[in-house]
Amino acid sequence: MRFNKYSMSLLLGVFLAGCATMEPPAPPAKAPAAPAAAAAPAAPPGPPAAPARKLTQADAAVLAGNCFACHGPNGHSPGTIPSLDTLSKKRIISDMTDFRSGEAPSTVMGRQAKGYSDVEIEIIAGYISGLKK
Amino acid sequence: MKMNNMNRRNFLKLAGATGATAVLGGFAGKAGAAGAKARVIVVGGGFGGATCAKYLRRGDASLDVTLIEPSSKFVTCPFSNYVLGGFRTMDSITHSYTALSGKHGVKVVHDTVTAIDPAGKKVTLKSGKSLQYDRLVVAPGIDFKWGAIQGYSEAAAEIMPHAWKAGPQTALLRKQLEAMPDGGVFVMVAPPNPFRCPPGPYERASMVAHYFSKHKPKSKVLILDAKDAFSKQGLFQAGWDKLYPGKIEWVAGAKGGKVVGVDTKKMIVDGELDKHKGAVVNVIPAQTAGSIAIKTGLANETGWCPVDPNTFESKLHPGIHVIGDAAIAGELPKSGFAANSEAKMCAAAIVATLRGEQAVFGSFVNTCYSLLTPEYGISVAAVYRITDQGIKTVPGSGGVSPKDANDEFRRDEAKYARGWYDSITAEIWG
Repeated sequence: MRFNKYSMSLLLGVFLAGCATMEPPAPPAKAPAAPAAAAAPAAPPGPPAAPARKLTQADAAVLAGNCFACHGPNGHSPGTIPSLDTLSKKRIISDMTDFRSGEAPSTVMGRQAKGYSDVEIEIIAGYISGLKK
Repeated sequence: MKMNNMNRRNFLKLAGATGATAVLGGFAGKAGAAGAKARVIVVGGGFGGATCAKYLRRGDASLDVTLIEPSSKFVTCPFSNYVLGGFRTMDSITHSYTALSGKHGVKVVHDTVTAIDPAGKKVTLKSGKSLQYDRLVVAPGIDFKWGAIQGYSEAAAEIMPHAWKAGPQTALLRKQLEAMPDGGVFVMVAPPNPFRCPPGPYERASMVAHYFSKHKPKSKVLILDAKDAFSKQGLFQAGWDKLYPGKIEWVAGAKGGKVVGVDTKKMIVDGELDKHKGAVVNVIPAQTAGSIAIKTGLANETGWCPVDPNTFESKLHPGIHVIGDAAIAGELPKSGFAANSEAKMCAAAIVATLRGEQAVFGSFVNTCYSLLTPEYGISVAAVYRITDQGIKTVPGSGGVSPKDANDEFRRDEAKYARGWYDSITAEIWG
């Protein structure tokens, strides 16, 4: 199953929104969430501090490996959760950053993204987007 | 600092534990330098063990990896509550090892490990065979403290199932639920901490109530708990009030929930204050690490296995790693998701150690979905790091689903629960 960037964006929007409409036309993932009971609380804490040392490819594999438990082997999801293997590095970084800030609404990704620093998000995105398709 | 040039002292500082020091001293670079195939044996083919075997081969395709698991097929505890709820089949939660052996180059041996010799680096199998290893991963899951509740034994579990290891016990409990009369009470005895799947008993209560709502509208659920609080309690109780008003009663340990004995002939559960009769009784006993871990001396006085969080190497027997429910893993819960996360970290650490490379940066994730109906899901999630105090939640990350979420949010979480199951089972057994 493959998605183009636009349908992926719709899917992600739906995945994360929870509160947004399930029918197209859905708002782009980055549009401010419609006011809803489930909206993230204001002023989330800042991102965690960067790790104390430079991260390697082996570190990236462990960091990104955790994503596959929900998003499927190598980021290719067999079920209802969006795949990651079609996304660019830039897109993964911007999505994660927006989940973390609460700018992109989500069910669980906001809670996850708050666990990662900018450096970690970048290395995760690089690893996943660099996997052989 | 260029990390692949990192010197040994820095690595040790990073790895921290004295266990790692001892191991590295004897092992650094050995397998790599000699070009010999290092042998890694993984004991147990559940969420932790099967993941670790696959990721060891993924990390280094030259490794000789053997997975030893008694069952030819694995039935997952996650989603077994939905078999009880009546909307999943046993088949749909059963997975085979053919992809691990056929696609991923893991030698899968269906046998039982009867003894581990840490000094001789050898495991003995029920069939009489013995196998040598350079590194051993023990992922035995849990076992039960059979003596903790008077009258509750392995034989009693055939009448009052625990169903806390999925398989025949799940099928038995489902059969009993189907056979019980409308109006009968389902009594669940919930275990003390720590135990496998912290939200699991409460999801199960929800699933039984869901089944009752369709087929036994006069029946009720009574939970007798050893504890005074439980995972996602606020979300569960608010959901029960809304979905199953008056149908699920939870009795805290301090209010008479503690159970001292059972009578399987009369189907009576003895609480500290009252006796309770059940049409079906589900006893989830107190737990320990799987018996092979205890027999090998990998567990401490708590009944669980202390490990170095960087490598999951045992603090009691260097050269042996313990992952999953059996391990003491700081704030990580005893969940299939956490076992999968620990397994990846452990596999990376073993590959790095065998090559004499620096320790990997520790990072773990857990997400546990629970269903209250097939279309009403809640979750708890967090990201974890290794600190001086062990494995801790990253401040600001994680937490439970919003208390005031609308129906659509709950429906989406139920949908992602199904998606999670499809993904993680493909990730492990696919």
